[in-house]
This record gives sequence, C-alpha cells and structure tokens, in this order.
Amino acid sequence: MRSERLKGHLDLLLMSVLSRGPGHGYQVITRLRDRSDGAFELPEGTVYPALHRLEESGLLASAWDVVSGRRRRIYRLTAAGEAALAEQSKQWREFSGSVGRVLGTPAAKPALRPAITGLTA
Amino acid sequence: MSGPLPDTPADPVEDYLDRLLVTLSGSPRQVRHTLAEVEAHLHDAVAEGVAAGLPESQAQAQAVARMGPVHEVTGRGPALARPSLALGRRLALTAALVGSAGFLAVGAAGLVARVLLAAKGSAFLTAPWPSGSYTRADCTHWLAGDPGAHSCVTAMLADHAGDFLLQAAAAGLLGLIGLAAYLALRERWQDRATLTALPAGTAEALGTVLAALAALAFLGQAADTEMVQHGIGAGEPWSLGAAAAVAAVVFAVALWRVLRRSAVA
Repeated sequence: MRSERLKGHLDLLLMSVLSRGPGHGYQVITRLRDRSDGAFELPEGTVYPALHRLEESGLLASAWDVVSGRRRRIYRLTAAGEAALAEQSKQWREFSGSVGRVLGTPAAKPALRPAITGLTA
Repeated sequence: MSGPLPDTPADPVEDYLDRLLVTLSGSPRQVRHTLAEVEAHLHDAVAEGVAAGLPESQAQAQAVARMGPVHEVTGRGPALARPSLALGRRLALTAALVGSAGFLAVGAAGLVARVLLAAKGSAFLTAPWPSGSYTRADCTHWLAGDPGAHSCVTAMLADHAGDFLLQAAAAGLLGLIGLAAYLALRERWQDRATLTALPAGTAEALGTVLAALAALAFLGQAADTEMVQHGIGAGEPWSLGAAAAVAAVVFAVALWRVLRRSAVA
C-alpha cells in the first residue's frame, strides 16, 4: 500500500497496535507489518513523530526501560487513547462500510455473445 | 597519551544517526530521546537482518533504507532538513539580536538625553535650525506646544528635544519587542543544524563591530559639535555615542565569553 495513503490512518493504526500491549518503536512497526501480513510497508522512521504527537496529545504515555540490554522508550495507550481508538475505529468502520456499499460487490461478467452467431454449432 | 582515532570503515547506521542529530529540533532532552530511540531501532533492525543471514554491512544498509530519509523521523518534511533553512534561521536570529540591541541602545540614549536635558537644557540636546529655514507658521506651531517659551527658537528646541525623546522611547520599545522575539525564536530553534550554521560568536562579533562604529561616529560628531558650535546640539550625539559604546562593550564581553567557551570545548 502506498505509504502516503497509509500515513493518513497512522494514528489509528498505532493506537490499535498498542491496544494489544505496550511496546517500543521497533516492536510497534514490526507488529504493524505482521498484523497487515506485510501490506503496510512505510518508512519506519515515520512512526516516531506520530508516536511523539500522540503522546503530546495525551493518547499515549511513555517510559524508559532496559530491554535486551538497551534503553527503550516503551509506549502504552492511555485511557484517553482507548476512548479515541474506540471512536476512530467506529468512524473508520462506518466510512469503509459506506465506501464498500457505494463500490458494491464486483458484478458478474456478462456471458460473451459470439460475435458471429453463424460460427456456432 | 592517545593519538587520534584511526579511520573507521563507513557505518551507515552511524552516518544516519549523525545526519539525524544535526537535523533534529526541540529541547536537548527531546533530541537525546529521539536519537536514543532511533539508535535502538536501527540496532534491532541490524540484528534482525544478521539473524536472517545477511552480512552485517548489508544488514546495516537495509536497516537504514527501511528507516527512510531523516526527515521522516523529524516529521517536518524534507525542506526543513536543508542546510539553507538552518542558515536562514541562524541569520534571522543574528539579525534579531543585533537589531533589537540597536533599538535598545537608542532607547537607552533617550534616557541619557533626558538626564542631559534636565542638567543642561534643550539647547545642549538639539541645535536650532538656521534662521530662514523655518516659517512663521512653524513658529506658531512650536509656540502653541510650549506657551511659556520666550522665543520661537526656545520653543523649537523644546519641540525637537521632545521629538528625540519620543522617538528614542519608541525605539526602546521596539528593541524590547525584538528581544522578546529573539528569545522566543532561540528557544524554538535549538536544533544543532541551526546552532552550527554560523561560527560561534558571529552575532556577538557583528554587534561589537557595528556598535563600535556607531559609537565612533556619534562621539566624533559630538566632539566636533562641541568645538565648532560650542556644545549647542551636542547632547544628541553624546547620548547616542555613549549608548553605542556601552552596547559595543556588552557585545565584546559576550564575544569573549563565547570564544572562551569554544576554546574550552
């Protein structure tokens, strides 16, 4: 998926990933890639300004910890983040449902009519 | 005694972190934290690549490529990572500091002039216009502003002295606003790229030179006025020259401190 399109939904995706448990930046991007079966490929550096912005908004909180011998900033969803995630998930489902209804299911291809009926047996 | 470190082979991760360091903005703590996060991230990605069987150098290159350009981490777009922007910011900070100091010096000159006015009168502060260069209407206007004046010239001097004090006060106010803007911008633009876009002490050196030149010009004019016109109108250049001289000394001391800090570092 094009990363520009993905960036528009990055906050929702990051909050969703962190709703399954706290994690540092590398874990967040790995979970995002795994849960999308590799469909969500974006420059990994993109997650950091988004994580910092969400923390400034009070939707995430972070704390430093040592994991595998290295200092990590571990992010977790706050109560406000959980509420925002629920609201944005609801909006997304409504939106994607509406888009899906407008697009409809792929129509069955009409049977090809022989161009020259006389050639048919 | 240890010598210089030998050249190390190119390390894409280290190079990336160097580029990130000079591009990040924010407080020193924010910069340190983001750098630590990205460094840990890159080392994780390298370890993952090596575990998958890649040679270390290839794993490093892949980790950096997956991280994306530095501006993805800063979140401010590629334009803001350009050195020209950092230089523009540094020049703006320099202009704001030197400019606001200049306006503040004029404001301080107004205070000196106020003292001179009280001590030696308006004829010392400002010189009268040559006779014939003003009209009767001018006189009426000046006398209306100073009904107690004995003559048109006295009223003119009082009017001109008042104008100078008013303009100096306005300049001082502008200087305070400029200084506040400079401090706010300096707080906001603390990224290393901006801080190092010009050599340390550039603003202080520029301020020292400009203030010293202004001091020489005004003090020279004041001395000339003392000799040629027996002090009539010497107050303005004396006050401006004194304020400029003080500004030059303040800038010079600041420059000396910056250079001493740089030498210690």
